[in-house]
Amino acid sequence: MSIPSYATHNPRANCRSSAYLDWLQMLSGACLVIFMIMHLFFVGSVIISPSLMNGLSDVFEWTGMAQIGGPVIFFLLLLHFVLAARKIPFASKQQGIMLADARRMHHLDTWLWVIQAVSGMVILVMGSIHLWTVLTDLPITAEKNAMRLRDSAGWVSFYVVFIPIVWLHTGIGFYRIMVKWGVVGIDGRSSLRQKDALVVAAAMIIGFATLLRFIFLSK
Amino acid sequence: MARTLTFSIFRYNPQDPASVPHMQEFRLEETESMTLFIALNRLREEQDHSLQFDFCCRAAICGACAMVINGRPGLACHSKTKDYPDKITLMPLPVFKLIGDLSVDTGTWFRGMAKRVESWCHTKKIFDPTAQEERMDNALAERIYELDRCVECGCCVAACGTALMRDDFLGAVALNRVARFVLDPRDERSEQDYFDIIGTDEGVFGCMGLLGCQDVCPKSLPLQEVLGKLRLKMAFAAANHLLPRFLRREIKL
Amino acid sequence: MQIFQSDILCIGAGLAGERVAVEAADNGFSAICLSLVPSRRSHSSAAMGGMQAALGNSAMGEGDSPDVHFADTVKGSDWGCDQEVARIFVNNAPIAMRQMAFWGVPWNRVVAGEQTYYKGGKPFQAYEKLENEGLIHSRSFGGTAKWRTCYTSDGTGHAVLYALDNRATQLGVEVHDKTQAIALIHDGVTCMGAIVRCMKTGELRAYLARAVLIATGGYGRIYRATTNAVICDGDGMAIALDTGVVPFGNPEAIQFHPTGVVPTDILVTEGCRGDGGTLLDVNGYRFMPDYEPEKQELASRDVVSRRMIEHMRKGFGVKSVYGEHLWLDIRHLGAHHIHTKLREVEDICQSFLGVDPVTQLIPVRPTHHYSMGGVRTNKDGAAYGLKGLFAAGEAACWDMHGFNRLGGNSLAETVVAGMVIGGKVVEYLKGTDRVFKTESMRDAAARQKARIQSLISGAKGGEDVYAVREAMYDALILGAGIFRNGKDLQTSIEKLTAVLDRARRVGLKSNGLGASPELALALKIEGQVKLALCVTHAALNRAESRGAHTREDFPERNDRDWLKRTLAIWPDPVAVKPILNYEPATTVFEMPPGDRGYGGGKIIPMDNPPEAATQAARAQGSEK
Repeated sequence: MSIPSYATHNPRANCRSSAYLDWLQMLSGACLVIFMIMHLFFVGSVIISPSLMNGLSDVFEWTGMAQIGGPVIFFLLLLHFVLAARKIPFASKQQGIMLADARRMHHLDTWLWVIQAVSGMVILVMGSIHLWTVLTDLPITAEKNAMRLRDSAGWVSFYVVFIPIVWLHTGIGFYRIMVKWGVVGIDGRSSLRQKDALVVAAAMIIGFATLLRFIFLSK
Repeated sequence: MARTLTFSIFRYNPQDPASVPHMQEFRLEETESMTLFIALNRLREEQDHSLQFDFCCRAAICGACAMVINGRPGLACHSKTKDYPDKITLMPLPVFKLIGDLSVDTGTWFRGMAKRVESWCHTKKIFDPTAQEERMDNALAERIYELDRCVECGCCVAACGTALMRDDFLGAVALNRVARFVLDPRDERSEQDYFDIIGTDEGVFGCMGLLGCQDVCPKSLPLQEVLGKLRLKMAFAAANHLLPRFLRREIKL
Repeated sequence: MQIFQSDILCIGAGLAGERVAVEAADNGFSAICLSLVPSRRSHSSAAMGGMQAALGNSAMGEGDSPDVHFADTVKGSDWGCDQEVARIFVNNAPIAMRQMAFWGVPWNRVVAGEQTYYKGGKPFQAYEKLENEGLIHSRSFGGTAKWRTCYTSDGTGHAVLYALDNRATQLGVEVHDKTQAIALIHDGVTCMGAIVRCMKTGELRAYLARAVLIATGGYGRIYRATTNAVICDGDGMAIALDTGVVPFGNPEAIQFHPTGVVPTDILVTEGCRGDGGTLLDVNGYRFMPDYEPEKQELASRDVVSRRMIEHMRKGFGVKSVYGEHLWLDIRHLGAHHIHTKLREVEDICQSFLGVDPVTQLIPVRPTHHYSMGGVRTNKDGAAYGLKGLFAAGEAACWDMHGFNRLGGNSLAETVVAGMVIGGKVVEYLKGTDRVFKTESMRDAAARQKARIQSLISGAKGGEDVYAVREAMYDALILGAGIFRNGKDLQTSIEKLTAVLDRARRVGLKSNGLGASPELALALKIEGQVKLALCVTHAALNRAESRGAHTREDFPERNDRDWLKRTLAIWPDPVAVKPILNYEPATTVFEMPPGDRGYGGGKIIPMDNPPEAATQAARAQGSEK
């Protein structure tokens, strides 16, 4: 309620903050979805040819997009996490309630939210590591990535975990924006879910193909 | 036919010092066209007179008999035993205060909700008994009725993870009620008035979009759409003054 | 013991109860409603059809007026109604509908232009006038000369109840739900409140009020098979009868409906038969043409019900675990027709029976539907016998329904009577001061406490309350079903008298702590059996057939001897039968008795029939 139940010095409490924060949560999420798709095409271009990827990378470097865009994305990631975390329960009692509810109800959308909350935490950590590693070693080139992956089983397993989690989170996030903000109606929901799942699967395949391409990239 | 059904029913009478919460099993022969209304009444009449549950219209109109049936909230009166496996687990609705066994106090909760969202037509007009009624477009009347069909059974609240976690969350039923008045031209409240009621994290921005409400609503109300549109409407109501003219929107429900 | 005080106490928070409470609250009086269930779950919400009011906005309602509505109502009642009350009702009905619209009911509205409607399953065109666009529309209902029934899709009762409860919330009307009024507080002259059991905790409370209203709905649940909600168990009549001074008007006037589904007795609309549905017996044989060669399944409600019972008595019923029934067959109407025009019926079959009416038969039986009788009041809604006691809605015998109620009139009655009687209650509250007698309250509370104690301890005996109720069901339907005759009624009375004795010796099997549904029923059962005895005694005495009251041994309507209303009182609480008094059905005759034009039957005329309504009488009537 915007009418405060406690005394304040304002005649009327600032009641728009929830709305602004919700806007920001959605918009930051949407931006990250768009970024992820662009990112996919960018690194996926290595499948066609490493020089294509390097060429694109040069463009980013030359226009300053990598130097500025990189940190912006990092900031967006953190912002999105903080905003979304407002809704994620940190008290174990509430977490227990949510899990029990999802389990009892056998309800897909509740499970999707649980996946979002958990994957969000993982992405915060892994995404930070990924971004730090990449951004501290600009420019991004196919060879650098390839080297990193070829020499270390640790990095390979890192991405084997990271790629599916990121795409799961991106896909579910997109679906949830669509239904939460009334873009898709009741009838469109299940078909949206199906199409979304297909896109996510495709993205994961491209992601893994890219990973393999890096690993087996000849010098 | 002629299955023997096992009912596992939550039992607890808070008014009885000797009572502790537990699950109790009952067995009953299934009969033709058996619903939980028939089954529960038979259990009470034939096996345990103290079994508490609520039924009223037994025709899915009044919303009295909502309970958690094999994990999902639903109306017991239109739940046919033949749609369930041999074992049926019945629990009272969460969120609402327990009265005993399967019976919960929905009345107090919904009265509080009605007061909180001021669930009535706000108007400065005074009824004139000699005048003809104000005209209304039939299509609009039907749209209002579509949202007015809610029977306050409480299933949407009980199925909502957000409502379970945060007891100050309004829940789909209240947001749907507000949407009903937003549609109604007889209610003279402004967008700001509605925003004051639901434009917070306890209101529409608290909704996490789990859609449990949509998936359990026994009246199949379009809650997903109502909540989505309402969120958009309230979000623009808050942001319009910051936006350049061409981006401003007034969302119609 | 907790004591609550208010200006008015409404027992029942359905449409009638809340409407009176709203009127009082609107005039600055404090109002509390008691209800067995949260107010929005009241049985009013289950009425789907609509409310009759002569607005005359629709094409098929053109030329309608309160006078036409009045004639339909009096005819419908088979001249058993109080014509003064019927006049008050029809004149106020349009106002009440508009007021409900003002409070937010989304009535269906007139859509101008050529529209397609259905009658008897056949489409026809009607032209809705442009000047009526957007006004309240109306639909067709049985027994009316004009299309007069205001409606909101298939949920009129629900929509009106929600709008009214919104208004009540706005005005601060308190609703104490899950409470059971188990006795009135009175001193034999004035009613001062009620002793109430909280059905959340089991505690006893006293409610003191300057005016008490009984609006508890019908008493359908004294029958096993009824369309009524499980809360319609006659609490209000029972506690009024228990005072020994308040009469129960026309208990024998009970309406049955031919097609309740088995086992749950949910109604399927007459539209099924209207559209060409047929009734089949155990052999799949269509029997109605044998009984009613002309009208067949389309004969009126009571006739079809009677023929169905007759056929089952001959041994052609379908035996099931839920008792005997017949089949309703709509398969031949085809999937398309059923999906579109009879969707509601299909929903009921699918949701509650698991039957697909496109390929399967629907099990149906005649079932109790509406109680015209109730707490007898005068035209102001004030109960006979006790000052400060009022009644409204189905619980009351205000008496605009007489011996047969028109569909759509009863739902309208709730808000119209609520509005009119609410006004009278306000007048009463303005004109009275009241001193509450503590001893009356203390006595009443002590009596109820002792009663509960003895039920829990089993001091009076160990009769199982559910077994007693089963016995009451069996005994009542024997005599007071659709067909009645002296012999069966006599047997029924004998059995019910024995059941009454058992009801007085009920003891609980469970511990009775807290909400205890067993205790709740045990507190009602004696009263219910008394109601059943009122019904059977009154039915036995009434040696005629009028409206829904059909005596096989007295098939004619006897205006000479029986144009009067039964008033049953039960002065001695330990007696085994009521005392039956009578009063004239109506003191004002706008319409002298005549033929109602359906249902048939011979009429024995009055000795000195009154003259047709004078212009003056009519004018006087419309002033009210």
